[in-house]
This record gives sequence, C-alpha cells and structure tokens, in this order.
Amino acid sequence: MSSELTITAVTVLCLLGVALYGLLIVRNLFQVIIALQILVKGALIALVLAGKISGQINLGQSLAVTVIVADTIVAVVGLALAVQVKRYTGSLDVKNLSTLRR
Amino acid sequence: MSAWLIILTIGFAWLGAVCVWLAGDKRPRAQHTLAVLFSVAAGLAALALIPNTSDQAVISLNAGSVFGQFTFVPDGLGVFLTVVATVIGSLAVIFSVEYMRGEAQLGRYYALILLFIGSMAGLVLTGSLFLMFVLWEMTALCSYALISFYNDDPKAVRGGIKALIITQIGGIGLLVGTLAVYIYLGDYQIDTLLAQAQTLPAGVLSFIAFTFLLAAMAKSAQVPFHTWLPDAMEAPTPVSALIHAATMVNAGVYLLARFYPAFADVAGWKTAVLTIGLLTALLAALMAVVATDLKRMLAYSTVSQLGYMVYAIGVGGVFASQFHLLSHAIFKALLFLGAGAVIHALGTRDMRQMGGLRTQMPVVSTTFMIGAAALIGLPIFNGFWSKELILESGLEGGPIWANVGTLLGAGITAFYAFRMVWMVLFGQPQGKTHVHDAGIPMKTALIPLAFGTLTSWLLIGRFGSWLQATLPYEQLNVESTEEMLLAIITTPATYLALAIVALGMVAWWQRERLTGLARSLQGVGRAAANGFGFEALNQGAVSLTQKAAAALQVTQTGQLNWNVLGIVVALVVVLLVLAGV
Repeated sequence: MSSELTITAVTVLCLLGVALYGLLIVRNLFQVIIALQILVKGALIALVLAGKISGQINLGQSLAVTVIVADTIVAVVGLALAVQVKRYTGSLDVKNLSTLRR
Repeated sequence: MSAWLIILTIGFAWLGAVCVWLAGDKRPRAQHTLAVLFSVAAGLAALALIPNTSDQAVISLNAGSVFGQFTFVPDGLGVFLTVVATVIGSLAVIFSVEYMRGEAQLGRYYALILLFIGSMAGLVLTGSLFLMFVLWEMTALCSYALISFYNDDPKAVRGGIKALIITQIGGIGLLVGTLAVYIYLGDYQIDTLLAQAQTLPAGVLSFIAFTFLLAAMAKSAQVPFHTWLPDAMEAPTPVSALIHAATMVNAGVYLLARFYPAFADVAGWKTAVLTIGLLTALLAALMAVVATDLKRMLAYSTVSQLGYMVYAIGVGGVFASQFHLLSHAIFKALLFLGAGAVIHALGTRDMRQMGGLRTQMPVVSTTFMIGAAALIGLPIFNGFWSKELILESGLEGGPIWANVGTLLGAGITAFYAFRMVWMVLFGQPQGKTHVHDAGIPMKTALIPLAFGTLTSWLLIGRFGSWLQATLPYEQLNVESTEEMLLAIITTPATYLALAIVALGMVAWWQRERLTGLARSLQGVGRAAANGFGFEALNQGAVSLTQKAAAALQVTQTGQLNWNVLGIVVALVVVLLVLAGV
C-alpha cells in the first residue's frame, strides 16, 4: 500500500475514533450533531478510499456524493430538532430527552 | 380441473370475506346472504374435489429464492379435511344467520369466519411446509379475533390473547422444524421430507419430529397446552363449533398423521405421542365430569376426544385417528350447535339452570341426543365405530396400560355425556320456563349434521381406500366396509368397551346410591375442578416472563451515550467475527 493510501486510512480511523468518542461522552445536542457530522465525513472518505483500492473509483465517488446529499438533510433536520428541543425543554442536554427511563 | 377447484374453494371463501366486509354493517341482510352464498359455494367446490384427488401437485407457484415453490396437492387427507372445514363451515354460517341476528359488527364476524375457512382449506391442501406455516398462523389469528369478538367483555379478550399466545408456542415449533427441514433438505416440499426422511441424520430427524409434536400439542390442545381451549368458549357458539371443535384444533392431528411415515421410526416419538394423547384423553374427561358451564364441558370433551386421536397416531392407527376425526367433527359440531340453540333460547350457559327442554325444543333435543349418543359411543352412531377402531388399533400397537387407560376414558366419557344430556334436556326446568324451538336456519344446520352422525360410518371402506390410493407413503391397512365393520363387531374388546360405557351410564343413573364412592373420589373432583393445576403452570410462565422483562428493563436507559456504546461494542464484535478471531 502506498504512503498516500496509508495516510488516508489513518485519517479515516482518526475521524471515526474522534466521532465515536464524542458520541460516547458529549451531552449537548449541538455537540452530538457535530460528532455525527465528523462520523459521516470519516465514512465518506472511507468510501472513496475503498473505491480507489478496489479499482472502482467512479463507484466510490458517486456513493460519496450521494452521502453528502443525504448527510446535509440529516444535519438540517437534526439542527431543527435541536432548536425545538431547546425551545420546549429549555436545555440541550440529551439526558433530559429520555422518556424510556423508569 | 382440480387446480381450478382448489382455487375456487379458497377463493370463494376469501372473496366472500371481502364482499361481506364491503357490504357494510348497515346492511345486515345483505351480509347474512353473502356469507351463506360464498360459504356454500366454497363447500360445493370442495365436494367437487373428492372425485378429482391426486397425489401430485396440481398448482405450483414459484415464490422465489428461499420461499421455494408454493404447491397444492389435492390428496385424500387434504381434500377430506377441506371438505370438513368448508361443509361444516357453511353449516355454521347458516346457523349464525339466526344465532347472530341483531348483533352489531356482523361484517367483522363473517369476514373472519370466511377468512378462516379459506385458510384452513389452504393449510391442509398445500404441499409446501412454508406456506403451511403461514396459513397455520392465519388460522390462529382468525381464532384469536373470533374468540375476542365481543371485545367489550374482558373475559373474551383474555381468552383470545391466551389462545393466541399458547398456539404461538406451537407455531414456533412448526417454524423451527420447517427451517430445519429446509437447512438439511434444501426444500420445503412435504413430499421431499417424506421421501428423504431416512437420509437425514438421526438427531436432526428426531429434532424435527419433536418440534412438530410441540406444534401439534399446542394447536390440538394437548396436555399441558390444553388450557386455552376451555377459555376460548367466550367466542360466539357457531365459532366454537367450527374452529374449536370441528376444524382448527384438528390441524395438530393432521400434522401428526401427515408426517407419521417420516417420524414413526424416531426413537421415543411414538411413545411420546401415545402418552400425551392418553393423558389428555383421561384428564380432560375428568375435568368434563365436574364442569358446570355447558360450553366449557363440551370444550373439555373436545380436548379429550382430540387426545384419543393423538393416541391413535401414537399406536400406529393413522386411519383410525382420521376416521375418528371425521366422526368427531360431525357430532361435536352438532353438539356445539345444539348447545348454541339452547344457550340462545335460555340466555345462560350454566347447565344447573337448564333442564326439561326435551318437550319444549323437540328438534334441538333430538339432534342433541343423537350427538351425545355418538360421543358416548353407542352402537349405530358414527362415534361408536371410530372409537372402537381406535381401541382396536390400541390393542394391536399399544402397551397394556394404555389400553386400560383408553377403556377407562370411554367409561368417563359415557358418564359425563349422560350427565350433560340429563342436566340439559331432562328433569325439571330450572330457569326460563317458556322457550321456543330453534328457527329454520338453526334447523337447516342441525338436521344435516344429525343425519351425518347417523350415517357417516357407512363410508368407512370407501374413505379408507380413497386415502390409501392418494397417500403413497402411508400404510393404512384398510379393508372393505363390510370386513372392517365385521372386524369391529366380532372383537371381544368392543363388548368390553360397551360394558364399560354402560357402566359409566349406570353410574350416573345410580348416582344417589353411589354417594360413598363419590365421597371417596371427592379429592379427584376438586383437583379436576381446579383444572389439575395446569392454570398455575400458565401463571408461573407469565410471571416469570414479566419478571425477566422487568430485570432487562435496566438495559433500556434511553440515553444516547449508552446506546452509542452498545453500537460501538456490537461493531467491534462484528469486526472481530469477520476477521475470524
């Protein structure tokens, strides 16, 4: 594997690691959405990388573009929800969102 | 030809369900008429199938990939049960015209009955285990919805849910067995399993055999899963007659009979079937002796008779079990519909509030007595011949203790059936004193069934050779009508059984003189009235499930961080598995 690919792979792992770590510890809803964005960006680069490795770079790139579009919608809806949550509960703490708790 | 007849039988029933529903509850007359027309049409189509039987699949639809071929095979066993389901189904629908007059939501009632009739016909005609499972579950769903038909009555809702949950245990058994067949044979076809059963590893075959036995036990209300059937009696009476006496509860017996050639050599399987059947026959008969609710008593009697059929399969008498299934379907539907007419007239199900109906409801009483005589097993009636045939196959293939048990069961059956007739029809009127006999729709249903009870045994030879001709894997050992009847008449066991039956009836006549005996059996009576503690078993299972669920609730924190942790851990596990660690 060339150094170029290795660097990309390490980047992907770093992004995924940061995002998962963020999702595990943050409690502010905006931070959750940011962590989710980082996660998706990592997955996006991973798709292009996979396309490059398997020799189907076109497929990888078109999938990545599709993910960008879908991801934008996720971000928009997530932020809209966060605004509503703030408006109705007065806080952005995800702990307060739980209704499954006994 | 037979392909079209199968499509018509199932199609008429299901089309009828849609039409009745579309007619709307504001036009009850149209609903009654449509339901009768479609159910009778389905019955006629099923009757036309009789001369068109074959052992080959006549319909084969490719359902694609893992679902396999959806086949329909109109062989003797399948067509016989289709005829039972559709003909008794149409009689129950005709009976309902009077019984359900003025009830709200008839659309739901008739649509579910017609959906059930079609599903039941499909269940017994299909040659694909997968499709059989689907239709098996559809009949369970219809049964549940009809038990809970009066959904403002908490008892009815409870009974329906109980029936659904307990029969689901059987459904899971059938599904697991079916998937095991698919894994090892790569095919869902019943014929494939029957032909290649001996090539399967012994452990796998016995696994399949016992999962199918579990399915049959739950569906046919065998001990310890019988508790749902008495509680299912909250359903309208025609539903009880059709689903919980004549058809759906026979599906388990059908399953055992269908796969008997494949499972007969599995170690312990026949003994298990025989023991379960015998235990069910005896315990349910004892519970019927102490029941006071007319419909619950009939339900216990159904459980007991189903036990006899299962027992017959356990001793190798597949033909005897199917012949008793035919007799029982006719006379028990008759008894249930007769009971429905009585309940409809009196407005109560408690036998202690009945009595003296013989003079006031002559037609109902006569037909009811014919049904009871067949249940007791008096000569000439169809129940006599089929029960003797079961006892006879027990003598050939069963251990001696099992034979003693079946004879004892026959005596108890005679006792409780006689008690029922006495309490309902004879003696002094207890409740309402002026009742009218049944109307024309009820008589239209009762009289053909009474006629069938009197004559269906004449078909014994033809029925046997017909089954033999289309079931290539079964060894039925059938002879001509005369020979089989003669064999029954000349066996000493028949007279022994008749003597015990007579003893059971005399015991009821002389019940005042037998108070000493009755007192010594009081403990048994109390245990039987409490259902022998099987209800406690159910309650235990329910509370165990609830406790386990409450304990597992801790894992549902509803917090994002914990859920993400779960996802990450699962991801790591999947990656490790994929990496082959």
